[in-house]
Amino acid sequence: MISELLINAFLVTIMLSIAIALIKTRTVIFTVILTSAYSLVAALMFITLDAVDVAFTEASVGAGISTILFLAAMAYLPQTEEESISSEFIPVLSCIILGGILIWCSFDLPEIGQLTAPIHQHVAPEYIKGSKEDIGIPNIVTSVLASYRGYDTFGETIVVFTAGVAVLALLEKKNTTKKNKSQPKQKIRKNA
Amino acid sequence: MISSTIGIWNYWIVFCLMMIGLFLVIGRKNFLKKIVGLAIFQTSVFLLYITFGKIKGGTPPILNESIDTIYSNPLPHVLILTAIVVGVATTALGLSLVLRINSEYGSIEEDDVSAQDLVDYHDDIETGKNFDLKFKK
Repeated sequence: MISELLINAFLVTIMLSIAIALIKTRTVIFTVILTSAYSLVAALMFITLDAVDVAFTEASVGAGISTILFLAAMAYLPQTEEESISSEFIPVLSCIILGGILIWCSFDLPEIGQLTAPIHQHVAPEYIKGSKEDIGIPNIVTSVLASYRGYDTFGETIVVFTAGVAVLALLEKKNTTKKNKSQPKQKIRKNA
Repeated sequence: MISSTIGIWNYWIVFCLMMIGLFLVIGRKNFLKKIVGLAIFQTSVFLLYITFGKIKGGTPPILNESIDTIYSNPLPHVLILTAIVVGVATTALGLSLVLRINSEYGSIEEDDVSAQDLVDYHDDIETGKNFDLKFKK
């Protein structure tokens, strides 16, 4: 059991190092690769935490499709990130304060894997007991997703459809302004 | 001592990852980096939820024949499955916004974009054209 937790701690530390590398890098291609690696290590962590469905969704959607989207967008964008002129003091300070508060609160959280934790007490046992008779398939995650919470999944498809329509509307070619900083074309944008 | 530290080590690192994502969103001026920060933030929230659902000695929540199996909690898994797909939709929408900004302004740095907006605004005041239009409406 302790080995399982050790593997977990190791993987999550790898994720921390990838995130720190993401802060350091200023090259767009490295950013995309590091994001993909981050998702992949997260998928590994989901396997060790018993969430196999989430793991293969994260590996295919988070590490696959997201990376393809980033690479496709990257082809039209500047390849390096400029150094910021403004100070980063206030964002760093607010992040440190918020993180400190969260870590302080984490001492009240139950340890990982406790059977007595509140999350395992209320409705979860009912789903585990009842899903075989109600739905008739062995995978509880599937039966909750597609049957008990079918309306949620329907709403999710609506969200994805709306996002797709919005992307198409945004990328529609209206003006011929392509990397042109001249004044008249910006006036067109203002008046439109 | 060691086991209790390892018991909440995941939470600490996950909170650090969340703060790194938040910093990338609010601290960096590059729009692409902001979207990457959003993805990092999302994935760390997913990790937090899945960590809550783990039970020691449990198996993945797929029913088997034996009676005394302990299954990990399936409900966080369902929530996060939905959230991953919605997360990709937001990423796609954000990237298309960045592409649009790049084709209009020729830059995806927040400083450049707001400077161009400021120049436009002062031009409008000097010429008085669009300024009048704004007040008529």
